Amino acid sequence: MRKVLASILALALLVASLAACGNGETGSTTDPSGAADNTSASADETSTGDAEGSTELVLYTWESMFPQEVLDAFEADTGIRVNYVNFDTDETMLAKLEAAEGGDYDLVIADDYIIETAIAEGLVTELDKTQLPSIGNVNPIYQGQFFDPEDKYTVPYGAGVQTIVYDPNAVDIEITGYADLWDPSLASNIGITSNFRVMNGMALKVMGESYNTEDVAVIEEAGKKMLELAPNIRLIKDDNIQDDLISGEIGAAVMYTSQVTMAMLANPELKVVYPTEGIGFGIMGMFIPSNAPHSDAAYKFIEYILDPETAAQCFEYLGYYCTNSAAEAYINEEYKSFLTLPEDFTGDTEMIQNISAEAEEAHTKIWTEFQAATGN
Amino acid sequence: MKRAKFKKEALMLLPLYLFTLVFIVGPLVYMVILSFLQRAETWGVTSEFTLKNYLDILEPVYLQTFAESFKLAIISTVLIMLIGYPFGYFMAKLTAKWKKRTMMLLMIPFWTSSLIRLYGWIIIFRANGVFDKMLMGLGITDAPLKLLYTYPAVVVGMVYALLPFMIFSVYSSAEKLDWSLIEAARDLGASRIRAFLTVTLKLTLPGLLSGVILSFIPSMGLFFIADILGGNKVVLVGSLIQNQLMKAHNWPFAAALAVILTILTSVMIALYRKLSGVKDLEGIV
Repeated sequence: MRKVLASILALALLVASLAACGNGETGSTTDPSGAADNTSASADETSTGDAEGSTELVLYTWESMFPQEVLDAFEADTGIRVNYVNFDTDETMLAKLEAAEGGDYDLVIADDYIIETAIAEGLVTELDKTQLPSIGNVNPIYQGQFFDPEDKYTVPYGAGVQTIVYDPNAVDIEITGYADLWDPSLASNIGITSNFRVMNGMALKVMGESYNTEDVAVIEEAGKKMLELAPNIRLIKDDNIQDDLISGEIGAAVMYTSQVTMAMLANPELKVVYPTEGIGFGIMGMFIPSNAPHSDAAYKFIEYILDPETAAQCFEYLGYYCTNSAAEAYINEEYKSFLTLPEDFTGDTEMIQNISAEAEEAHTKIWTEFQAATGN
Repeated sequence: MKRAKFKKEALMLLPLYLFTLVFIVGPLVYMVILSFLQRAETWGVTSEFTLKNYLDILEPVYLQTFAESFKLAIISTVLIMLIGYPFGYFMAKLTAKWKKRTMMLLMIPFWTSSLIRLYGWIIIFRANGVFDKMLMGLGITDAPLKLLYTYPAVVVGMVYALLPFMIFSVYSSAEKLDWSLIEAARDLGASRIRAFLTVTLKLTLPGLLSGVILSFIPSMGLFFIADILGGNKVVLVGSLIQNQLMKAHNWPFAAALAVILTILTSVMIALYRKLSGVKDLEGIV
């Protein structure tokens, strides 16, 4: 019996190690030509296979990306049932999509940088624009970006900028840019999110550098700058950081656009600052995975969302910048100032992109040092 | 005949072995292998062998997270011991009816998700929250204390989450205690304190030690308490692993950290077994 168990164990080890190696290999495949072949083949397959039209759409994105009324109306209008599957982080999404080899899901909405990786991994279908007659509604400001320079794979759905929001009653100085966050009067009064590229990026911006610098020495310099910020940090939190600003736990916060919208609706006295050093920009994009089982339904959904009135409804709910220029006319005045870029917006923006592994490791290291320093 | 019976029993255990292999041994092996691989530029890993991930752990900033985790675990465990031991000990002395009632009161909070109970602490600790209102109402303080997102808040959360494990293991040890032994010690002239130290404590030591293990080891990993009540400012190994895995895309480094954490916890358990001479966790297994 012992022997049998021992051999089973040995076998299991072998299988496990093989599986691990196999995984490692697929993980490192970044051959773009092979990927392109793969996508075109699957696109052909789906277009011939779905002559009658699918009755289901597997939508894969974060929670609360669409108002329920829009989803219900889509189901009623098209007879396609929406199966809403959510993920918590972009990374979870990519891992699952990779495990499913670009199948299982019909439409994914995620952040720009992860879409760039997904395209490189061959997990994204090139869009057939003939199926999207309303594509022209998209605001061109949000198109042609690094993750999809020729707009072949994605349709933008919402954009965000990193802004500082503060309560003038709880802060002694006027904040105009990131550099002001270093002011000693803000001791233990600032909340930030845990997106380390954005947060380390504040120091890079104050130093006049790019978010995407791959120079490790510069990143380490930014790390030193971040350590000086540590005494001012009271809170690092991604979810609902606006609550802490509203309740008075913190006086100023760096936050995502949807949080800014919620904070401003709750307390109109708060001030929104577009940092003078330059603005970090992020775009969420919709894409169809390479082996999507119901890609026809995905096209119908994208087209449905591109309709100006529907889009306005979605962006009011979502609280991110409206990426649909035709929809702006339908957005309620109350929300308009949060959902469209300000008129004096200079366009001095920079998107956060994927950087070399070495640079990213430097970023995580200075972030961990910074985080530890905030606790002391 | 006897042999046939043995085979049958072994066969019945087979699903258990298979479960262990697939869901425990498999992932462990996967983790160890992953920890020796190289990360790919943006996503995934390459099949190149490297020791880099383990060498990276030696960077002061990462060693410090291990130290921080130990520090928090030790502080929490000591507090849990100080509160939990007397609680479990006196609980064992209650009448059967009150034992049941106390047990019930300890169990009921477990019906609610630990995350939700943590949010309860936020309501208590936050500026102008329950605690502040109470202190200000009593005239002890006149401005809101900023208690939330501080180190003491994290410690309170840890103690709160893990205290029942200590209470239950001490209780199960103390309940089995033969009280006549203590009486005998007293009859033979030992003082109360001496009788407690030489008899009671010694006999309940296995329970106390298993309580220590049951609170110390999870407290190394309960990073969400530090995140929620500490505002993410205390970097524990658990949150470092999560960060490396989910945000930095450095799976091999996360795996290496996890391997080291697993080894450290195994050492703790081995130490416990040596100290207490007990092969299982008292009261739990």
